[in-house]
Amino acid sequence: MTTGNIIELRGVEKRYGTFLAASGINLDLKEGEFFSLLGPSGCGKTTVLRMIAGFQEPTKGTVLIDGQDMEGVPANNRPTNMVFQSYAIFPHLNVGNNVAYGLRGKAPKAEIDQRVAEALDMVELGGLQDRGASELSGGQRQRVALARALIMRPKVLLLDEPLSALDKKLREQMQFEMRNLQQSLGITFVMVTHDQYEAMTMSDRIGVMFNGRLKQVDTPTTLYARPCDQQVASFIGEMNILPAQLLGETGDMLSIDAAAFGRIEIERNPNVVTSAKDMNIGIRPEQLEIAAQRPEDYPSTVQGTVSNVAFYGENIHYHIQVAGTEKPISVSVPNYFHTVDFQRGDAVWLGLQGASVIDLGTDKK
Amino acid sequence: MIFRSEASRGYTLSAPATAYVGFLVAAPLLILIAYSFWTQTYVTLDKTPTLKNYRDAFADPLVRHLMLRSVWIAGAVTIATVALAYPIAYFIAMKARKKTIWLLLITIPFWSSYLLRVFAWKLILGFNGVMNSALLMLGLIDEPLDFLLYNEFAVVLTLAHAWAPFAILPIYVSLQKIDPSLLEAATDLGNSPLQRFMRVTLPLTIPGIIAACLIIFIPTVGDYVTPALVGGSDGKMIANLIQVQFGAANNWPLGATLSMIAMLSVGFVAIVFVITATRLGRRIR
Repeated sequence: MTTGNIIELRGVEKRYGTFLAASGINLDLKEGEFFSLLGPSGCGKTTVLRMIAGFQEPTKGTVLIDGQDMEGVPANNRPTNMVFQSYAIFPHLNVGNNVAYGLRGKAPKAEIDQRVAEALDMVELGGLQDRGASELSGGQRQRVALARALIMRPKVLLLDEPLSALDKKLREQMQFEMRNLQQSLGITFVMVTHDQYEAMTMSDRIGVMFNGRLKQVDTPTTLYARPCDQQVASFIGEMNILPAQLLGETGDMLSIDAAAFGRIEIERNPNVVTSAKDMNIGIRPEQLEIAAQRPEDYPSTVQGTVSNVAFYGENIHYHIQVAGTEKPISVSVPNYFHTVDFQRGDAVWLGLQGASVIDLGTDKK
Repeated sequence: MIFRSEASRGYTLSAPATAYVGFLVAAPLLILIAYSFWTQTYVTLDKTPTLKNYRDAFADPLVRHLMLRSVWIAGAVTIATVALAYPIAYFIAMKARKKTIWLLLITIPFWSSYLLRVFAWKLILGFNGVMNSALLMLGLIDEPLDFLLYNEFAVVLTLAHAWAPFAILPIYVSLQKIDPSLLEAATDLGNSPLQRFMRVTLPLTIPGIIAACLIIFIPTVGDYVTPALVGGSDGKMIANLIQVQFGAANNWPLGATLSMIAMLSVGFVAIVFVITATRLGRRIR
């Protein structure tokens, strides 16, 4: 039976005593995709990964890898390999022997040597076979861990927070390298991360987890534009969440009254239920226009006062206090001409397009 | 201002330790070395340096026999103790929940005197001892076993029991230091639990095993009390002979020579062992 799914989780649940680490997990992963499990720490994402690897058995439900039920199959017999958060480089072995570890006794020495050399070339550590484990930098350890797992030619590569121990520059470089590696090898990667940017830049699809539950599984662009609830909306990127009134609906368009921003037409979000009059909307900070004069061509405008300015380098964040909303509205502007246009206390205008407004639906009672 | 310079302050601070090592370790050792080159002539000491004692000692088959037996018994004790200690240390480090309580339990034998423990073994292994009575009562034997006490076996058993905590603790520490993710990585890369133990756990605990072996082997070669009490004539070791030279035989120079030979043999065996064990550990991949 081929469904094209390399991994299928069916109603998977993991319970530790009375604590429910993961529950009701249903997930299909396609062959060759880069999938990320994203969520705050303690949300159960690592538990899910470890259940796929075989380090933990689900309390309920089924894990299928390549159509095979993995129940009772120990981790050493699963077609998966893992890159550990700590990298778990064997300290008593040099780089070459670390990478060769899983092949020892399974292939002739000449073949092992050749595959080790290839694997090290692949992670740009060519020729470092004799380097001792203690002589490696953080980035090199990460590459050795990657080579050691990939040399096994797994059907699925599991990565547990693989970049969290690296500094920012190296992390960004590795994001691209790992993405390229994944695409050239065509192996399914499943990565656990708490870093939304890492998940968005690298993944084909992201599963967002909160409190042991898989909230939403979608592409990065869909997650960003059509989150399934306020929690996901504010975890992925920054989001201004405002209460609104539903006035009427025609097809996929909703007519709403968005508090300070007034009446505006927005698109319906298929991932949420918007039925009652009271609803919520979300506006990304970079989707708002900020100007000293009332901006033209915007169906909705509002006047406010700058209450805070934060300079990030590539962009500038303003907090704007607007009459009719409790929290200040967050606005982010690209740093075009190396100038910070507004200071705390300035009176400004905000402009909003209907297409920028995200329908976050009616609160579930 | 007495402590004007860093150097004088350093010397002053280390003076007690230096004095201790100088008077109680270095000086006796030097005296021992000096004695080994002198000769006893009835009641007087001939201080002309000579190698006669060493020639006599090497020529004497009894010395060779006792030295070899001491090394062999100490080796057997070391192997037995480490082999028994490893699983215990493994259990405490990897499986046990209340590690502190287990470690405390292991040190319980130390709450009683070493001599008492040796006597306890005499009571257990003796002709009318606990072991024989129990076996007789169960009807497993018709008459008491006489091979339990007063031989090499009794010495090995008693010493292995006495030294167990010294083997358990260093091995426990080296097991405790192993990052659990290394074991998971070995499993992930296809190892069965046994392969994983041989390829990751064991090589990473070699320093602990070496430490345990040295801690046990070195003092055991020169052990005097245990062979004297439970060894009988079969279980006598080099230290018993040395004791005789300093006591009844009143030949201090020969006693000093035997001590020197014992120390050098132990040192040689220990160095060979450390090098071999380290080499073997490196060969595991």
